[in-house]
Amino acid sequence: MKKDSILYVVAFTFAVCAIFVLVLALANESTKDLVEANREFASQSAVLDALGIAWADRSQAATLYKEQVSPVEGSVPPAYRATVDGSGFIAVEHTGAGLWGAITVILAADPEATLIRGIQIVAQNETPGLGGRIEEAWFLGQFKGEKVPGQKIRVAVGAESKGSGDTDTENGLADGVPGASRTSQAFESIVNDALVRVKAIAGGGK
Amino acid sequence: MSKTMAILKDNLWTNNPIFIQILGICSTLAVTNNLRNTAIMTLGVALTTAFSSLTLSAMKDLIPRKVRMIIQVLVISFYVIIIDILLRAYLPEVSKQLGPYVGLIITNCIIMGRAEAFAQASKPLLSWWDGLTSGLGYMAVLMGIAVVRELLGFGTLFGIKIMPEAFVPWTIMIMAPSAFFLVAMVMWWAKSMQAGRKPEAKPATPGQQATAAAAPTTTAKA
Repeated sequence: MKKDSILYVVAFTFAVCAIFVLVLALANESTKDLVEANREFASQSAVLDALGIAWADRSQAATLYKEQVSPVEGSVPPAYRATVDGSGFIAVEHTGAGLWGAITVILAADPEATLIRGIQIVAQNETPGLGGRIEEAWFLGQFKGEKVPGQKIRVAVGAESKGSGDTDTENGLADGVPGASRTSQAFESIVNDALVRVKAIAGGGK
Repeated sequence: MSKTMAILKDNLWTNNPIFIQILGICSTLAVTNNLRNTAIMTLGVALTTAFSSLTLSAMKDLIPRKVRMIIQVLVISFYVIIIDILLRAYLPEVSKQLGPYVGLIITNCIIMGRAEAFAQASKPLLSWWDGLTSGLGYMAVLMGIAVVRELLGFGTLFGIKIMPEAFVPWTIMIMAPSAFFLVAMVMWWAKSMQAGRKPEAKPATPGQQATAAAAPTTTAKA
């Protein structure tokens, strides 16, 4: 068969596509369980971190999650109830608009939403080195054990922000990331919206 | 100089994909503010270029000319998806960090450039070597830029704090424009170095003259 004939071109293209796609399908199929396990671990460890439950490795994380966390049936995005050190907490996944794209967090708080237990960021697309610094420990650490006066927290921006983290857990105030006022403000409303959802879940909502 | 050494020198220096051929610039702007991401991304590009060149060269006598570009794209995307699957399964943290950048390896012009310019007319192993060294030439430049950007932009290298506490990070180094400045400076430096060597090379063998003459031609095309 001539290499330039229509039949050869069609048959060749079809065969090459079929072979390469078959190999890809096999690779995808053989790693499917592993990818699913990674995804599950990522979500479980984020919930545990938000709740302030310490874990050392994958298997311990899975056990602790099973023992202490129970997902709220039918809630979308997911919400969880957990008992840590004898007191009940609610963790919710919440997505809100950042500066460039959506920011997804897991926030854990007491059922009355008056005390934040902790926050973990699941996904964000903010500017690396600026807004992206909301993932840093000094920033997220500010919310750990922070009281929520009047159902709302505030993130200081501009000159008001020291940029080094607010250590006072009584004032419901956190320092914004210097140079990233818009992301910091967006984070403030994401946290406040998540707190509203915690209260709704505690009241029996989904 | 043997052929393999000539290819190595060509791809790393005299015909470097970044500062002579001016290919793959988009990813230079996007990933180079962080050494770790740069290392993984450029390694991905080097491996994809190497193996797609190898595969395409091995298939070259069977590929009809009419559909050769479609087949090239198919083979390149095949390797990129394989890399993506492996990262997701075995290095989930890295995969999450790199996000869309892995998929974007497909769009790197160096890969198809090598497939068209070299693999089509060369033996498989030599094509593999050409692809790999092209990727290394790309990697060398990007890593150099990433060192400057991460050090001045974050004060760290591979995430390890290098600069003193009092150091104020240069925010511009984190943003894409700084990569423009740095790439331009690398090109300036490399071209001045290569231009400076030319007068010495003149009385040398005709082969070397041909290489020296080839560089400006390629630049003009790019």
